[in-house]
Amino acid sequence: MKIIAIYNIKGGVGKTATAVNLAYLASTDGANTLLWDLDPQGATSYYYKVKPKVKGGGKKLIEGKSDIEDAVRGTDYEDLDILPADFSYRNMDLFLDQTKKPQKRLRKLLQPFEDEYDYVFLDCPPSISSASEAVFAASDVLLVPTIPTTLSLRTYKQIRKFFHENGYAEMKILPFFAMVDRRKQMHRLIVEHPPSFMPGTLRSYIPYASEVEKMGVHRAPVGVFAGRSRAAVSYRNMWEEVKEDLHLLESELE
Amino acid sequence: MAKNQHEYILPETSSTADFIASLQSIFTIREEHEAVIWRTFYDTFDWRLFNQGASLELYKDQTSPKVYWRADKDSARKIQLGLSSVPRFIDHMPRSNLRKQLEPIQKMRELLPRIKLKIKRQPIVVLNDEGRIIVRLNVDEYWFRPAKTRAAHVLGRRVSSKAVKGYQENYDQYLDFIQQLELRTAPDNMLKLALAETGHSAGDYTTKLNLLLDTDEPLIAALKEILARLSEIIHQNTPGTIRGEDTEYLHDYRVAVRKTRSVMSEIKDALPPDIVNTYGKFFSMLGKYTGPVRDIDVYLIKLDKYQKNLSKEGKKQLKAFKLHLQELRKEKQAALKETLKSSEYKQAMKSWDEYLQQPVENLDENSPQARPVSTVADKLVWELYQQTLEQGNVITPESPADDIHTLRKTCKKLRYVMEFFQSLYPARRIRELILVLKGLQDVLGDFNDYAVHIDMLKEFRKSVPEESVEKAMTAMIKELKKKQAAVRAGFAEQYAQYSSQDHIDEFREIFVDSR
Ligand SMILES: Nc1ncnc2c1ncn2[C@@H]1O[C@H](COP(=O)(O)OP(=O)(O)OP(=O)(O)O)[C@@H](O)[C@H]1O
Ligand SMILES: [Mg+2]
Repeated sequence: MKIIAIYNIKGGVGKTATAVNLAYLASTDGANTLLWDLDPQGATSYYYKVKPKVKGGGKKLIEGKSDIEDAVRGTDYEDLDILPADFSYRNMDLFLDQTKKPQKRLRKLLQPFEDEYDYVFLDCPPSISSASEAVFAASDVLLVPTIPTTLSLRTYKQIRKFFHENGYAEMKILPFFAMVDRRKQMHRLIVEHPPSFMPGTLRSYIPYASEVEKMGVHRAPVGVFAGRSRAAVSYRNMWEEVKEDLHLLESELE
Repeated sequence: MAKNQHEYILPETSSTADFIASLQSIFTIREEHEAVIWRTFYDTFDWRLFNQGASLELYKDQTSPKVYWRADKDSARKIQLGLSSVPRFIDHMPRSNLRKQLEPIQKMRELLPRIKLKIKRQPIVVLNDEGRIIVRLNVDEYWFRPAKTRAAHVLGRRVSSKAVKGYQENYDQYLDFIQQLELRTAPDNMLKLALAETGHSAGDYTTKLNLLLDTDEPLIAALKEILARLSEIIHQNTPGTIRGEDTEYLHDYRVAVRKTRSVMSEIKDALPPDIVNTYGKFFSMLGKYTGPVRDIDVYLIKLDKYQKNLSKEGKKQLKAFKLHLQELRKEKQAALKETLKSSEYKQAMKSWDEYLQQPVENLDENSPQARPVSTVADKLVWELYQQTLEQGNVITPESPADDIHTLRKTCKKLRYVMEFFQSLYPARRIRELILVLKGLQDVLGDFNDYAVHIDMLKEFRKSVPEESVEKAMTAMIKELKKKQAAVRAGFAEQYAQYSSQDHIDEFREIFVDSR
């Protein structure tokens, strides 16, 4: 089981779009995939037509008082399940802080799935908090969508600084550019020459594309309703690159 | 099967349409687009994977192709590797856990596609009132073509299902429905079924003779059976020997040729002189043609072992030597290929097979050919055993290496003869005798192995001008000689068992007294 988190402090950078599409692609590889919607807004759950509600409430789930397996829902796609959001997740920090080892909490909650899922994707809300620290501790890798603008790069720098200062220096971070508009000179420049503080930036990037916005209408990943679109192709390339990067070409299945 | 996954066999008597109709009478379903899946199972020529209980499969559907490895072929646990083809040789397999598990089984052999299944899949989803998918199932029709010359046919139909998370109750309803249809769960995997259809089981390639000789059979008839079986092995390994990359084909080919020659030379007066004359020459020529390639193979296989003990310069030189050998091999292999593809070769093998297939008729009862096979076998085995004792008894720690080589050769003759006639004797007892002989042969073989190593390093030493490398080689040769001496020290122990009074008595009882 590999845990892949899609994270950025910044909102509206394409985290959810990435999580929704990559998880779908992983499942079409034949890998058993779980997508956990950690954002109380429940956008991911919405895209997969699943009610953003956890049976018994989010608090009990996080505290380990209800069976996490009961909360999992199947999607319209084979091999892809979702752990829906719950509005109570807005208080995630509180829930976590009431447990013994808040940092290790998420990892522990996912333990029962070790043999069941090949991949777990975490769609994170935009913040930096106890919840995000629990995400960092749980994840094998962090994918960080970044819009190629000066301001977003500054945010990325802050994230890196935070990692270095808080004991996550070893964390595997894969930044990539999202919502790239090649008509904009600044976007072009940054994508072609990523700054030195962004080592390991993925070669593939996600263009600004109307198909991604249409996901909300179709309530499906782009690969499903626009398989040949530029957006679908770039998510596919990105998934291949991530697998390669993480040596995930191989997985053990059951 | 993982929990909440099931697979059942659809009986031949009911059609897929029937099944869907009965499903429809209870559930709201939607038939999805039909899909085609190809599953190709790979194995070595001698079924190493299957014999180890493993399986390697290339799986192709509409998504990206992948390779599945099951260390236990009947288990659901598998390793998936995102590859679009199966590399023939282990060196080309990407570094992975899969490779780690496959390597000790496949070793130097090539992987061949052995069984290819086409699956026509009808995916069906069961929906609830809100239109959500609550159960997924596939009706799979397995198509299989047992041979190039035969038409494809349906091997079986199966319905597999999987629970959708959050809808366990609905899945249980589905299972109840299946129970009412009284479908059988699908027990064994399709690979086995497909194999049975090809008319041979996996693991059917063996270099063992596995004959069923009859003690009263005239000698000539028995010999023809032995030779025909050897010819079969020669034929089985010919295409691979011609391709020339997987060195094991040539190895097995040569052993069968050597055994063929040994039948002709060890069992005198048994075959007509003109036959012995013509084919004796033919097979000895084959031995000569195949020898050089095999010798180089043996060098190349051993060469890699020396890599790590060498300096950087030495490694470079070794690489050059290896390249030189590989070039030489190419040359020799081309000549061998030409021989094996020539019409003369094919014609000779054909008439040899024709001769072997001719029924034995009108035998002169007094001719040497008409002797009962067991009489001849008894005598031959006993004589050869005596000969090994004569040669072995005089070996001392000081006697020259040649004496050991002579004994090694006689032991080999004895081993061949015992295996040719194995089926004439009480199975367990002769197996025991062969086992002890094998123990002795292993020591003699190791001794010879070191001799080959040393020869190779001497060749290599000659080929390098570099002084430091020469020194390294000389040191290594010295090391090998030490090891060879240690093997030799172990000889006495093995030989003691082989030549013990008990063992001699057992030989005598089986091959002399029982008649
Ligand atoms: N590549 C893209 N091209 C065009 N629009 C995009 C692209 N990626 C995302 N969007 C749109 O931008 C908005 C924000 O995207 P998304 O929800 O994926 O970001 P997010 O980082 O998850 O936001 P939040 O921080 O609120 O969770 C959405 O309306 C989405 O449709
Ligand atoms: Mg989001």
